[in-house]
Amino acid sequence: MKAVFKSATTLGVSLLLVSAFVAQPAFANGPIGEHVNHLQANIKDYSEEVEWMIGKVDTMVSNYESKGAKAIKSDDLIEYWESVKFHSAIETNFVPVYASIWQGIYGVKMAIDNNKPATEARKEQQAMNAALWQGLGAVKLAAQFQQKGLLANVKATATTSMTQSATIDEIKHKLDRVIAKYAERLSDEATSIVHDTYLHLFEGVEGTLIEQDAKLVEILEKDFNVTLPKAISDNKSVDEVREVVSSMHTKLDRAKVLLEKAEKARKDVF
Amino acid sequence: MKRRTFIQGLAAFGAIGALPLPLSRALAANIANPVSVDDLPKLEGELTLYLGRGEGGLYENVLQAIQDRNPNFKLGIRRGPTAALANTIVAEAKAGVRRADLFWAVDSGAIGLVSDAGLAQPIPSDLSAQLQPQFRYKDWAPVTGRVRTIPYNTSRLTKEQIPTSIMDIADSDLSIGWAPAYASFQSFVTAMRILEGDDKTAKWLKKIKKRAKTYAGELGVVMAVERGEVDIGFANHYYTLRLKSGKPDAKLDLAFTQQDAGCLVNASGILALNDDPLATHFMRYLLSIEVQGYLAREAYEIPLVNGVPLPEGLPSLANISPPKVDLTQLADLRPTIALMRNSGVL
Repeated sequence: MKAVFKSATTLGVSLLLVSAFVAQPAFANGPIGEHVNHLQANIKDYSEEVEWMIGKVDTMVSNYESKGAKAIKSDDLIEYWESVKFHSAIETNFVPVYASIWQGIYGVKMAIDNNKPATEARKEQQAMNAALWQGLGAVKLAAQFQQKGLLANVKATATTSMTQSATIDEIKHKLDRVIAKYAERLSDEATSIVHDTYLHLFEGVEGTLIEQDAKLVEILEKDFNVTLPKAISDNKSVDEVREVVSSMHTKLDRAKVLLEKAEKARKDVF
Repeated sequence: MKRRTFIQGLAAFGAIGALPLPLSRALAANIANPVSVDDLPKLEGELTLYLGRGEGGLYENVLQAIQDRNPNFKLGIRRGPTAALANTIVAEAKAGVRRADLFWAVDSGAIGLVSDAGLAQPIPSDLSAQLQPQFRYKDWAPVTGRVRTIPYNTSRLTKEQIPTSIMDIADSDLSIGWAPAYASFQSFVTAMRILEGDDKTAKWLKKIKKRAKTYAGELGVVMAVERGEVDIGFANHYYTLRLKSGKPDAKLDLAFTQQDAGCLVNASGILALNDDPLATHFMRYLLSIEVQGYLAREAYEIPLVNGVPLPEGLPSLANISPPKVDLTQLADLRPTIALMRNSGVL
């Protein structure tokens, strides 16, 4: 835990988090409590919830180790996670870690459901624990930004303008949510986010982008419409889906540079 | 038949009454010259605009420029999907609330929804007179247009090989790319329903489906035509122009059908929700020669104001013959979607 916090305070990670927080208007699918707009006041609760979650999973894995799969209900893992407020705090603020938490939870669950050796369940448990601590670190940092007014409230309606390059940030955020929902075993929802992101966000910038780099648009078109949906429908592993998204992120970074260049070159309206 | 000939023919046969704004009035009206922002009144005060997502942020640039030019003017903007905002405006009105003064929508169907609810204010005649006659409506102003086109692969076809009737394309042996889930395509099918009727449209959809390859969006359609995956596609004009701008040697050109839904000119539009002159003055800025020119130059949209010079490559309305359709009739997509589902297209 200390190691995670220590690394989270390094300049590089902090900058990464700043950019992730500031760039992301958050849209949640499930019920999101008002507490996400008051992170600092809820840090104590979040910390207790993380400790509680880790303890519950540890108890379950210990019972699995000593009594076997029949003695436990692995579905409880999902209920534990969905019952904590911290769930939406991390979902609205740092979705890549949110995806890793789900990945860890399902890692433990699948190890139990498939009667894998307890050591394997422990390995997945460790990955889940690390993701939870990392998530708590991210929420604490987000709370600091929120205190300084650097973090927008969670809203369902955009009230600020979105430039084309900011749209790319939003697309990347949506793709992170695709991983999160896929890790959450909500494949249809993940596919639906891919589709909506293409139609409502990427479609709005690809006109300008194609003037800058037609080949790049062609590759991203294939990623949005073939590669990523197919990885989901083929039930690839979360890591494989993440790899596709990561590759799209790299291309979208290139797209952002090109869009910023085009924006600068644009003549004034008047 | 050229568009102008068609209009004259309609006038002679007394069919004008069916048009959006009686064409006799439109033709009789003076066609005003485009107005420069230099001649517009300064905007002072506050307005709230509901903005349906526009062409990749370029509408935002226009709004910012208007505000920069008018330091005593404050514009509150609520952004969202066009259809959702139209529904919001109607719902707010039913609840006795009016939060928006203006609604700038990316498609005229959403405008129709608000107009049909009786919430839009009449457009002053001098403002209307700046628009080309076929784009004059009583309570909203089209801002810019987009044309339905047939992009085709120039290494496989000549323009002459493409039927000039959208209905005849269904009986041709051409391979086709389309994006039936796409909003612009569905508006085009709605226009076909209005012009040809549901039966003919259903038959057309079924025939096309047999030879069509489906894409998620219309840029995808145009790129597939350019790659030679299909001979032709159905798409708005600007995708082809943009692809050719990024790839000048693209084996791609545009063909147009004549006087049918295949060359429908749809429009973005603005309406005022109250009679505050400030709202009307704001609309004048969108019809100014500078804004019209900017959107034509940067977004490849077709200016709908008389006398605005067209950038090179943009299709001129004078050279195509779009059908006469009241664009606000494109508002209700439900029968179209039902028809497309029943035809196995969606």
